[in-house]
Amino acid sequence: MLAVHGLWSPGRGLLLWAEDGSRPSTTGRRSLRSARPHPFALPTSELAALHPGKPTTVTLLLPSRSSGPLDSPELVRSVRVGRTRSAPSLQPWTVPAVVVDPAELDDPAEEARYGASVAHLRALARFAADLAARGRVAPTLTRGEPGPEARWRPVVQGLDAVALDTLVAAMPPVGRAEQRPHRGSGPGTGGVPRSGPERTGQDPAALVRDAVAVLVDAAVRDRLARADEPVALLPPRRGRIPRRLPATEAWLAALTTPDAGIDADPGELEELARALAPWDRIGTEPTGPGRASFRLAEIRVLDDPADPDGPGTDQTGDGTRWQLQFLLQSTEDPSLLVPAERVWSGGSGALGRLIAAPQELLLAELGRAALVYPPLESALRQARPEALDLDLDGAHRFLTEGAALLLAAGFGVQLPSGWDGSRRLGLRLSVRSTATAGVVTRGGLGREQVADFRWALAVGDEVLDEEEISELVAAKAPLVRLRGRWVTVDQDRLRTGLEFLRRSRRGRPAPTAAEVLALAQADPADHDTPLPVTGVDADGWLGDLLTGTAERTLVPLEPPPDFRATLRPYQQRGLSWLAFLSSLGLGACLADDMGLGKTVQLLALETHERAGGASGPTLLLCPMSLVGTWQREAARFAPGLRVHVHHGGARARGGELGTAVAASDLVVTTYATAARDIDELAGVEWRRVVLDEAQAIKNSHATHARAVRRLRAGHRIALTGTPMENRLAELWSVMDFLNPGVLGTAQRFRARFAIPVERHGDTDAADLLRRITRPYLLRRVKTDPTVIDDLPEKIEITQHYRLTREQASLYRTVVDDMMEKIEDSDGIARRGNVLAAMAKLKQVCNHPAQLLHDGSGAAGLGRRSGKVIRLEEILAEILAEGDKVLCFTQFTEFASMLVPHLTARFDQEVLYLHGGTPKPKRDEMVSRFQSADGPSIFLLSLKAGGTGLTLTAANHVVHLDRWWNPAVENQATDRAFRIGQHRTVQVRKFVCPGTVEERIDTMIESKKALSGMVISDGEAWLTELSTGELREVFALGADAVDD
Amino acid sequence: MTEPPSPWWLDAPPSRPLRVAGGIQIHSTRGSIAQTWWSARFIEVLESLGVGGRLARGRSYARAGQILELQVDAGAAVARVQGSRPEPYRVRVGLTTYGKTEWAAVEQALADDAWYTATLLAGGMPPEIEQLFGSLGLALFPAGGRDLSMDCSCPDHAVPCKHLAAVFYLLAERFDADPFQVLALRGRDRETLLANLRARRGGGETAEDTAAQSQAAPLTECLDRFFTAGPGLADVGRIGSSPTPPDALLDQLPAFPIAVRGHRVADLLRPAYRALGEQPD
Repeated sequence: MLAVHGLWSPGRGLLLWAEDGSRPSTTGRRSLRSARPHPFALPTSELAALHPGKPTTVTLLLPSRSSGPLDSPELVRSVRVGRTRSAPSLQPWTVPAVVVDPAELDDPAEEARYGASVAHLRALARFAADLAARGRVAPTLTRGEPGPEARWRPVVQGLDAVALDTLVAAMPPVGRAEQRPHRGSGPGTGGVPRSGPERTGQDPAALVRDAVAVLVDAAVRDRLARADEPVALLPPRRGRIPRRLPATEAWLAALTTPDAGIDADPGELEELARALAPWDRIGTEPTGPGRASFRLAEIRVLDDPADPDGPGTDQTGDGTRWQLQFLLQSTEDPSLLVPAERVWSGGSGALGRLIAAPQELLLAELGRAALVYPPLESALRQARPEALDLDLDGAHRFLTEGAALLLAAGFGVQLPSGWDGSRRLGLRLSVRSTATAGVVTRGGLGREQVADFRWALAVGDEVLDEEEISELVAAKAPLVRLRGRWVTVDQDRLRTGLEFLRRSRRGRPAPTAAEVLALAQADPADHDTPLPVTGVDADGWLGDLLTGTAERTLVPLEPPPDFRATLRPYQQRGLSWLAFLSSLGLGACLADDMGLGKTVQLLALETHERAGGASGPTLLLCPMSLVGTWQREAARFAPGLRVHVHHGGARARGGELGTAVAASDLVVTTYATAARDIDELAGVEWRRVVLDEAQAIKNSHATHARAVRRLRAGHRIALTGTPMENRLAELWSVMDFLNPGVLGTAQRFRARFAIPVERHGDTDAADLLRRITRPYLLRRVKTDPTVIDDLPEKIEITQHYRLTREQASLYRTVVDDMMEKIEDSDGIARRGNVLAAMAKLKQVCNHPAQLLHDGSGAAGLGRRSGKVIRLEEILAEILAEGDKVLCFTQFTEFASMLVPHLTARFDQEVLYLHGGTPKPKRDEMVSRFQSADGPSIFLLSLKAGGTGLTLTAANHVVHLDRWWNPAVENQATDRAFRIGQHRTVQVRKFVCPGTVEERIDTMIESKKALSGMVISDGEAWLTELSTGELREVFALGADAVDD
Repeated sequence: MTEPPSPWWLDAPPSRPLRVAGGIQIHSTRGSIAQTWWSARFIEVLESLGVGGRLARGRSYARAGQILELQVDAGAAVARVQGSRPEPYRVRVGLTTYGKTEWAAVEQALADDAWYTATLLAGGMPPEIEQLFGSLGLALFPAGGRDLSMDCSCPDHAVPCKHLAAVFYLLAERFDADPFQVLALRGRDRETLLANLRARRGGGETAEDTAAQSQAAPLTECLDRFFTAGPGLADVGRIGSSPTPPDALLDQLPAFPIAVRGHRVADLLRPAYRALGEQPD
């Protein structure tokens, strides 16, 4: 066993050395006055294997007996050593050591134990790194050996000084046991005097100071070198660069170079040194800054309040008076607050450690404060000012003006407990509504169905009763004690508030749900009420809506019988939530995780409402690639819905469009088409507008976003699978579409939420934002227990995409070419041609370059293939969720194109396993993929990776191209969907509508459905088809191409 | 560098001061120099002496940084000013100091009313301070040229010469920045004054807080705990100061007299400080 120790050696740096328990504990050499080799120190060659570094030797004074040094407590020996009785003494030993980088301290070797000296060095290095990271460093100029240098020195103030002192006190003696060569004595004379400085050891304070200085300089340079953008301190220079830079410029430049050396004129350096002198003094004072703090307090007076002859100090009428007390507060440790009284008497203990000259600081602060808040002056006209006595008006003035002035000027202000500024007079609305459970099933709510409402005057959360109000009205002073706490009362505001109450009782219409939501959530400054609305109390469905719990309390809706899909329980709840918001006229955002069936919930809603007699067309906008999906899913699940697709060159216009729309329940279009035809579409009074993949309008200035805002609709729904909470601009865009104005203007939103939350991590702003949006937002995630229970363990999704123009024309060429060959051949040759045609078409669908072998490489790979474009979108979503994915393809050429492309696109490693991957490499890839921090994308060839492996870290499987053999595909899928998988697995199969991919998919599905037949051999059956049938299977449909 | 020899028949060659590198340059570049009422009191004395053009020349001397050194001590401000001769002129502005008794009375009055010290420490000077000195029979400011002694080693026999005028302007700026210097001229430097005030206020022994660094024990006395760390090592990481913006320190640094091609050095350093804070550890 090894025991590793360390020390800081000025001039050399961090040294590590080790004791080796397997070496003899004694040396044969007799004790001389010179240092002997340490008998069981680890040689540098072995030491460097543990901790790479520059070999060196150090002379250490160690507790020893005559025959050898004592073991450190960390050393474990396999063989017990006999003990001698002689008392230990200090002896010099030469010890092999390595000079290491500070990073080595954080990388301990398993086969060694580490002594306290290493822990101490680690604490030192971290302290230095922390100073660098916090910018507690200052540039300076050193002019010793080897010459002038630009260095970063630590600035250690306040609590950092406390930490530094602790480091000095904590240094183990071995850390300062280096015997340094005498100055003046020649080399090689390692004699140990019996006493003198050599026996006391190095000064720990000097060692720690030197170490922190060197480590801080290194840490700063390291951080600057690693910065995202290179840090250049010199302004760009126009014209030619002088042969020798002015000293200040040379110095600035050298602050970021690895060697800090400066070449400059000595005279100029002298001038620079003089200019830097005041900077060098910063942080050398042992203590840090402080500030004055002012505490407004109520002082109980001892006088009998009933005594009419009392000194009149009882200003509040109940035996108290106001006082503004002065305190001194350490800026470094704000919990350290010392009353002025103790500052004057001098007994301020800890404060003295953190603040130099506390009396003068307090005086200076009071002087500065008096400039900001002149009433303070009167309190300073005495020898030891401690507080300013205030009358009631004075206290009020302090609360309303002084406190803010002092705070703004950087002073601390403490207000009496219970005083938090929000305790102002305001209005509170209480609303009663019926219980949530039945509201949707009963056939919906009218907009006016807020059963009962009442305005009241309130202070903070507390509603005032009549008696309290009349007390306030009668109050003469601006400060009134109410329920034991102080409240400022502005008589004008009180009057307008009472007037508002009187009017509201005289038959004002009950607010609508939307109005209540607006009152409860909008910025108080936005209200048009005479007093700020301090709160809304609501019960029943309104209360549930406000708290965002309506989804849980609503009765799940059963879709009408003509709806052809069975909704899972969470989908039924989603349906009733959508119906509920719709009945209130509130825009709804369904943001369920991808794969949870947002499409089916929306279709169920449309079917449900139409069964209840609703009419009028719903306009649905989605990305191009999803038009077919909507069309198909609607036909499959909601055959009762009349669907019209408004898309493509031949789409209806003018009157024709009007007729088509009037005859439809659901009009499906793309964002691009809608933007192009917005004038016509905006002319229609839509029953509802639905945005699928609503993040498409995230940029509120873009054409799409501007277009959808022009659409007129009775109700709006947004569907999205991306968690918008993290992308605030997107959240604003979608919310503003759903419920215009709900989050204020975009500029206001940025100032109020986006900047505080995203830039400053303001949790209060984030909470408020959540509170405002939660009534309109329903998001369930796959890991939600109430969803998990409902889910099948494997979800199969047919993933549609479109061909690019290049792919389409290539596809046509291949079909024409191959059909000719097929027609001209028979027997085995024909079979071969059919299979070759299949393969070529599949290649085209994958990527043009795969067929053309034009080696277009990774550059621009994405733009040429609709499949790759869609794949990137899906991977982005999967990776954003932190999930892992398996991608299967039959074509190694396609895979080897994808690997560099995806690696670059997602800036992360993409694993790729194929037939040629050797076994050990395979195992290594699998285990890395399975580990939590391993790569997230695993590309596998279907043949090589389809069997045998366990890849349960993935919960997504993507089949990039089809083998048309469910058994083979399922086997591949089962790499992820097998024992050990705890999550639902989503399986996507890529299919392009209007191509051979879709036709064969449909054929297989229908055959499966008809006879449950298992197609055993992938594609061989295709060769049996007639030429005419083949032509149909291969033909390129109009819907295959993106527009 | 020496001046070109001037022909003996020329009476008074228009003297051009030698340029100075690294001289003390006043910050005010135009307009009046004394910013505060208390520094204005000194300039008023100077201007009352009716020296005309020498005032303006003194001002431009001060602006050009011809003053190499200015030391304010009890009873005198002494400066070295670079004129047209290679050897800088020695300039002295003297003011009588108060005696021990006078100062004791002043200190007691100041200690009794914290307002004065508070204002002085906040960088100001309450106008009432003149009454305070007056009530003790003292004048804080010179009433006129008679209260000042002015000497300059230049050949100009007019007093005050432009060198003296320059020193007055620089002195005014010193007073603006630190009103304690006015009191220092009268015989009490800032540190002594504050210490005396603290003593009169009572309490405030800071000795306990400035405990001398305890000497580390000799190694020979540490043999039983040679490999053991002292207490508190585990706490070092927790003591750390609360986070401030990484470039906060830059704002704490005093102004840097050298600019780099028109840029302030602190501004040039700022990107480096920001970069320090940007990276994760």
